Amino acid sequence: MKLKSKLMTVTAAAAILFSGATIASAETTLETVQARGHLRCQVGPPSPGFYNLDSAGAWYGIDVAICESVAAAIFGDKTKLEIQSVSSQQRFTALANGDSDLLSRTATWTMSRDTQLGIDFLQPNFYDGQGFTVRKDSGITSALELKGAKVCVTTGTTTELNLTDFSRQNDLNISNVTFEDFNVRDDTYLNGGCDAVTADKSALAGNLANFPVPADHLILPETLSKEPLAPAVRHGDNQWADIVRWSVYALINAEELGITQANVDDMRSTSKDPNVLRMLGAEGDLNTGLGLDKDWAYNIIKAVGNYGEIYEAYIGGGEQGIGINRAGSLNALWTDGGLMYSPPMR
Amino acid sequence: MAIITKQKTADRPAPLSETSVLGWLQKNLFSSVFNTVLTLITIFIIYLTLSGVVVWGYLDATFVADKRRECYDNSLTGACWAGVIAWLDNIFYGRYPREEIWRIDFGGLLLVLWMLPLWLARVKGKILIGASVIIFYPFLAGYMFTGGDKGWFMQFMVAGAITAFIINMTNMLVGLLKNTSLDVFLMQLFGQADAGDKTQRNILLAMVAALFVVVFLWQASWNVTEVVWTKWGGLFLTLVISGIGIASSLPLGIFLALGRRSKLPVVRVLSTGFIEVFRSVPLITVLFMATTMFPLFMPEGFVLNKLVQVIIAVILFNACYMAEIVRAGLQAIPKGQFEGAHTIGLGYWGTMGLIIMPQALKHMIPNIVGNIIGLLKDTTLVSIIGLFDILGMLRSISKDVPWVGLHKEPLIFGAVLFFIICFSMSKYSRHLEVKLSAGDKH
Repeated sequence: MKLKSKLMTVTAAAAILFSGATIASAETTLETVQARGHLRCQVGPPSPGFYNLDSAGAWYGIDVAICESVAAAIFGDKTKLEIQSVSSQQRFTALANGDSDLLSRTATWTMSRDTQLGIDFLQPNFYDGQGFTVRKDSGITSALELKGAKVCVTTGTTTELNLTDFSRQNDLNISNVTFEDFNVRDDTYLNGGCDAVTADKSALAGNLANFPVPADHLILPETLSKEPLAPAVRHGDNQWADIVRWSVYALINAEELGITQANVDDMRSTSKDPNVLRMLGAEGDLNTGLGLDKDWAYNIIKAVGNYGEIYEAYIGGGEQGIGINRAGSLNALWTDGGLMYSPPMR
Repeated sequence: MAIITKQKTADRPAPLSETSVLGWLQKNLFSSVFNTVLTLITIFIIYLTLSGVVVWGYLDATFVADKRRECYDNSLTGACWAGVIAWLDNIFYGRYPREEIWRIDFGGLLLVLWMLPLWLARVKGKILIGASVIIFYPFLAGYMFTGGDKGWFMQFMVAGAITAFIINMTNMLVGLLKNTSLDVFLMQLFGQADAGDKTQRNILLAMVAALFVVVFLWQASWNVTEVVWTKWGGLFLTLVISGIGIASSLPLGIFLALGRRSKLPVVRVLSTGFIEVFRSVPLITVLFMATTMFPLFMPEGFVLNKLVQVIIAVILFNACYMAEIVRAGLQAIPKGQFEGAHTIGLGYWGTMGLIIMPQALKHMIPNIVGNIIGLLKDTTLVSIIGLFDILGMLRSISKDVPWVGLHKEPLIFGAVLFFIICFSMSKYSRHLEVKLSAGDKH
């Protein structure tokens, strides 16, 4: 009993000591980043469309573009950026311990993560959902026909849990064949080791495009899950969260207003639309609350383009894109029936 | 009665089975029906395997393409080496800026040139050469790879390294041409061969100092641009981590082993504790500890370079294994050797350094090289904690949009590369063993 209370005291003392250490350095994240001179943005091990290396060693992808936008907003220079590739086991720890300033890496925004891990998810930059790929000659046209099927899935993600849930809900008796690496999963599927592959639909489409004969395969219409993929920051620094959130909104808003990387200079000098002028910093003082320069949003668009351009380049049919259609998907602008919606910038 | 012929019987030719290929085949492969059947089956299996590999890897393979779809257009079943070829810079140098890659090549070349005299029999002063590599090369290479502004310390070390390198190269040339060492040659050149030791030494020191000053002034005139460590990668990073790991874990391991056998209780307990703790956890745990947990204990804003953390973790982890190897070697030395050393008046360090270690290390070569090879392969674990070493790069090819899904070819390429490196190390160790144990042949 006595020992226990002693232990408690020691633990409490240690806790106070540690929290004291954190309180003592009350520097905001923005100050830290500005003092350091570059932004540390966390992505994962390469994943097509979102963050990957090209053969010249440069990072590209839609999540990398978010990192670049934030760097451009703060420094006016998207290259003042260090991309950190962190394994998924360590991702939230590396954000929480201050190693990363920002996490932008296809992390699904879920309630438990948002409320229990000491991090905050912000505006999603991509809405995904889990689906299935099957061989056309199997005659399957709906996920509900996968009774007793063997389904290849990568392990350790929500994907696997969703598959089990789906099987239970619909009494399908699906058996999971799990893999660590999506390449091996796809190879097994192609060699007949399983009847279907399940993953986020964006990934399925990207991988399917690189099957030997893509036309032999089909993505089933059902979507099993909601996967809002959003950037995240440490809990508690609201100014920093605002900066990241509004950087993403600026991308969406720019598309809505028709501002592109090519015409942003013209728009700033010749546009008569007060919304455009306010956003690009030609009038008003939208920047003051963020603690950034007047032309923060201009810098973002100048550096990476608007949301539609980024989507086209990396997710859509661009040279480095994985070829997923945007029209009619959740990732279309709200004016086109999608979910991409920015609060008014005024 | 003996029959003696005066003429020598003509030499009969050796049996067919010893001289001709056909004979050898007949004797070894087709000597009976059963053996013939076995041989034919084996040949068939080899043919099946090899032809598959050749067709996949060469005949049907695509070597020039811009994306994986083009490989498929060429052949659906062949290998797509084009992806690996497009990524060669990444595989070897990581994200190092392409226009600065010469610095890595130059650093490697420098090391080879520096070590070259060690293999040349005619060159004198091998111990000095070896010492200069260990003391100076890391700084010169470190600066070449990192770049940026040289601090005064780096200026000093870089100048020292270049001086040492120049002396080393001159010494090698003198050794090759005149079969003598540089100092003797210089003394002869200046007609001071008969001068006293002290005079000779002063002249040499003056010359080294003069050379150093010239080099120091010269090196102050240039800088190479900074390349942050996050851009390091590929085989280069693997070799940096394992190179530093090897070079540091062996000496540390020797001290740990000596500590574990020490008669001083504190040293012994500390060494044993250290060895047992680090040896009892997997390397990946040590790496995660070093990179994720360590920053939590540090004051906020204090960020130790992740690469340094990883290297320290690798060194500590491997030093324990080295220590146990060295301890095994020490235990193989008969007690008589220690006693003999004591009787001629050697102290502890004298005994160890002059009598025990040279004998023990020789016996340990196979184990040490085994451990070094293991370390080289273990360093690929750093790809899990987000460094793009060679394995990380090979695995990233299959995620690059033009090459999505291309994962077999890179891994096979990596396997071949690792085989070449590890096999040559193992061959070299075999050569060392033979060379060093020449006196032990019974």
